[in-house]
Amino acid sequence: MKDRQRILAVICALGMLISLAGCGGSGTEKNPKEEARSASTEEAGGKHLNFSCYQYSNSIDPITNVNASWCGLRYGVTECLFRFNEKVEVETAICDSYETEDFQTWILHIRDGVQFSNGNRVTPTVVKESLDRLYQAEADKTGNSTPSQYVTFDSIEADDAAGTVTLVCTGVTVNLPGILAYPWYAVVDTSVIDTQVIGTGPYYVTNVEENSTMDFAKNPYYWDGEVPYDTYRAFLTTDDQGSMKAMALQSGDVDLVENIVTASDLEAFKEDPAYYVSTTAGVRLGNTYFNYHGVLENEALRQAIQYAVDDETMCNVTVAGLYTAGCSVLPSSLPYGYEKLKDPFVYQVEKAKEVLDAAGIVDADGDGFRELHGDKIHLNYLAYSSRNLDDFAQAVAISLEAIGIQCTVTVQDYDTALANQSKGNFDLITSNATVVPTGDPTGFLGNFYSGNSDTYGYYANAQYDAAYEELLTATDKERQQELILTLQQILIDDAATLVHGYYNSTMVSAVDRVTGADIAPIDYYWITTNIAPVQ
Amino acid sequence: MKKHALANRLLQIVIVLFGISFLTFGLTYIAPGDPVRAMYAASGTIPEDEIIEETREALGLQEPFLVQYGNWLLGCLQGDFGKSYSYNKPVVELMLGRLWPTLKLALTSLALMLVVAVPLGILSATHPGGLVDYLVRGLTFVGVAMPNFWMGLLLLYFFAVKLNWLPVVSAGQGFDKLILPAVTLAFAMAAKYTRQVRTAFLEEMNQDYVIGARCRGIPERVILWCHVLPNSMLPLVTLLGLSLGSLLGGTAVVEVIFSYPGLGSLAVGAITSMDYSLIQGYVLWIALIYMVLNFLVDISYTFLDPRIKEMR
Amino acid sequence: MENFRQFVKEYPAFTIFLVLALGVVAVAVFAPVIAPQDPYEAILANAVQPPGREHWFGTDKMGRDLFSRVLYGTRTSLAASLALVAIVMAVGTLLGLLAGYFGGLVDGVIMRLSDMMISFPGMVLAIAVAGILGANMTNAVIALSLVSWSKYARLSRSLALKIKSRDYMAAARLTGSKTSHILWSYLLPNALPTMLVTGATDIGSMMLEIAGLSFLGFGAQAPTAEWGLMLNEGRAYMTAAPWLMVFPGLAIFMTVVVFNLLGDSLRDVLDPRCSK
Repeated sequence: MKDRQRILAVICALGMLISLAGCGGSGTEKNPKEEARSASTEEAGGKHLNFSCYQYSNSIDPITNVNASWCGLRYGVTECLFRFNEKVEVETAICDSYETEDFQTWILHIRDGVQFSNGNRVTPTVVKESLDRLYQAEADKTGNSTPSQYVTFDSIEADDAAGTVTLVCTGVTVNLPGILAYPWYAVVDTSVIDTQVIGTGPYYVTNVEENSTMDFAKNPYYWDGEVPYDTYRAFLTTDDQGSMKAMALQSGDVDLVENIVTASDLEAFKEDPAYYVSTTAGVRLGNTYFNYHGVLENEALRQAIQYAVDDETMCNVTVAGLYTAGCSVLPSSLPYGYEKLKDPFVYQVEKAKEVLDAAGIVDADGDGFRELHGDKIHLNYLAYSSRNLDDFAQAVAISLEAIGIQCTVTVQDYDTALANQSKGNFDLITSNATVVPTGDPTGFLGNFYSGNSDTYGYYANAQYDAAYEELLTATDKERQQELILTLQQILIDDAATLVHGYYNSTMVSAVDRVTGADIAPIDYYWITTNIAPVQ
Repeated sequence: MKKHALANRLLQIVIVLFGISFLTFGLTYIAPGDPVRAMYAASGTIPEDEIIEETREALGLQEPFLVQYGNWLLGCLQGDFGKSYSYNKPVVELMLGRLWPTLKLALTSLALMLVVAVPLGILSATHPGGLVDYLVRGLTFVGVAMPNFWMGLLLLYFFAVKLNWLPVVSAGQGFDKLILPAVTLAFAMAAKYTRQVRTAFLEEMNQDYVIGARCRGIPERVILWCHVLPNSMLPLVTLLGLSLGSLLGGTAVVEVIFSYPGLGSLAVGAITSMDYSLIQGYVLWIALIYMVLNFLVDISYTFLDPRIKEMR
Repeated sequence: MENFRQFVKEYPAFTIFLVLALGVVAVAVFAPVIAPQDPYEAILANAVQPPGREHWFGTDKMGRDLFSRVLYGTRTSLAASLALVAIVMAVGTLLGLLAGYFGGLVDGVIMRLSDMMISFPGMVLAIAVAGILGANMTNAVIALSLVSWSKYARLSRSLALKIKSRDYMAAARLTGSKTSHILWSYLLPNALPTMLVTGATDIGSMMLEIAGLSFLGFGAQAPTAEWGLMLNEGRAYMTAAPWLMVFPGLAIFMTVVVFNLLGDSLRDVLDPRCSK
């Protein structure tokens, strides 16, 4: 009796299961009831925007650290003296004009009538105090931002009557405006900084639900044109792998999202006319550093890896166009002579095997994996899941197994991976970084300079060092270009690092609710005054 | 006698807490990875080795294990669970901020579960062999075997994305954001509880007093509602208390899926970023809450059931 | 043969579920034969293809055949959960018998340890342990063992206490049998059936917990074919490629159902008092 009951019950369960499975297979048509909750755009009291983004930091104070300073700019709260336009050229912002004769003493004029969101005036004195605070925080370690990495000043003087700030740099600093456009140097109201971070941006923070949401309101004193929204709410997610942001947009919970990280979601948005996808050729390099203090010191092995990895497919299929494939550390979209570079290691699996065989890296013990000098090669590949880097690492590992090189991918959180990177505990490690943080690639190219390549796998090449040292002091534009080209080619010829491609930043908005949602190539900017409600 | 049992129970709680604290502290002590480096990395810098050594000394991480453990335990007793590296905030403050959302989620899912389980359990008990009975049994099989993370994903997919009835981002306030995570949690519990209610109800119906009441001609409805129901609900109280306790610690998966800002997602984040003081604090807190709840359940049980009182 | 037929007649449910469970085991054992493709062979260009003739369940983000991966996932899940059940059963039974037989200090220590584990939501500690030890399948099994043994210890302790009071035990002790002999020849055989039934009913829930840890990233690591991990990988593709999350989920669900029912019906077979 009991058995019969149980069997019947199981049949019931199976029936339910099948109906569930049936639902799972149903098509992907969109729901027509879309409009139901989009009313959120016009909440009581004015124009409102719902935005979803990844939470990189829970601070927006520029002294806290890199991510916090970026958040301040991205949320539209803080601004710098200068800013980058859509061609990554420096433009004036809070500083409306400047003059310099020797590239060491700079006189910046502060724009008249700029006010913080609390109504306080932005005077040269406030600018000076803001910069002083930044450097002070670095000196006494109350903040982790390191502004002296880009520039140090012998003196900063404010002249409120003339409306100018005079900066005397420690050395010749040709690119000072570009540097001052970096988020660290954002101007904040130092008189209230102990209680709140107040900037000059179009919005200011009204409420924070820790790790959940942030509310913003219009800065009534904004200096640069009309602010389109009265309020906006940012839904913060720390889910860097799932489709939370994409689903929130699809379901109408939010009107705008930054960087869709799932390839298939991005495809779906691109095909759907209800959404506007803004994509820009990125200034971020996705690459993998090799550790020269390990087996990858072997050149044949590095070359074989370059041959074995199919960047085109990885960029176009594995991450479905979130990256654009390339061979140099500087993106093809920037004017650093990409088209003049020669890549000797185009994808060719057979060639990879040939190189290894010729170098005596063969599978002698018949376990399916090759050995180097009799020791089995087992590469330790560290990755973190930001910006699809773990996908790249897995795809590379798969490609390496195909040529008989054993490779284990370990996905760690960013902090742990970074710590291991600095300790040299890796054979390969993924990276994604802006190569022109201040509008200039010199700093990034320094990662391969033997003087500071310790944390990037100990690459060293005398020729590279010489060229880099010359670049540091070069003021002639043409010579700079030449040197930058030489440096790039040396890295390619040395198979110094595995370049995957250049990250395409994206921003997706619902066309019936939001207009002007374009993403800037340099991703310090998300919420700008260009983003406005549909009339 | 009773007082003695109470003291005994409290002593037991203290011993267990002590053991748990030792275990978690020991585990984090032997764990691979370097919290000091992780701490610096979290703030985006890669410091020199000397600075790391200095920091380690400043944090007392050079001391022998037992001294470190003792210091930490003393701090805990005074309510100081240390500072979280990754958030740069006191652990207690972080946990307090996340406690209410998780509690809200747990209570909602319990309520939701009861609304489903009690009627279904009673129906299947009063009509054994009927359609409802089979349906309920089938459902319990599904509920017990369904991975809650899969359930969560399916619900999210159908209700938030396909049907667009509920919001996807469970951030901020508002009851509607609770529904999907709560349903996910309630589903598996409902299966268990329906069974429980059914058994308890059946057992109660076979009691002598019910038969007696029937003989005396008391209407079936009165017997069911006024005698059987209250008595059969008694064991549920214990179970509910236990469930609340395990829910507080068991919401992690669901919180991660729905990016719900509760204790569970805080803990998972703490583990991935090797935020040891946060992990230790979390484990100890949950243990404490869980045991206090159990204790309260035990006490309430003696009050609720006169039979137990008499036995003592 | 006649016996077999009678057994089937008497316990039809058990027979059916046993056959199903053996089927699952067979899938695990013969995965290399059944699977149409190598679950680890990736053709990057074939990523995220919908289910079709060539790939019954479609392909994942690395262009691997999902059907083959789901089949191979049976191996991982089954091996891990059987190992886990075996460990907790062995450790728990042993400790419980020792505690019950010796009593006193041994009993006190073992039982306080077990209290510690039982008075605590297991998943929290399991997550913490697995996360701290480092994420891999072995550590996930260790973590879950650490929090699951106490249930078995309590059960076998109570059995040991019951058996201890029997006459033949007193006789054995009087005739001077060695303690190890008593434990091995009297206590264990008597406790074993109950422990086995409990173990069998737990396979399903252990499987769920292992998959849960993997889903959170504290268990199996890529590129292992493991259902929880596959679900987590599929999560990112939920809207555009739902099959990546539907099939591994179904696999977990069905396997757990089979093992749960097998455990239930095994109880009926071994404990005739329960079946009416």
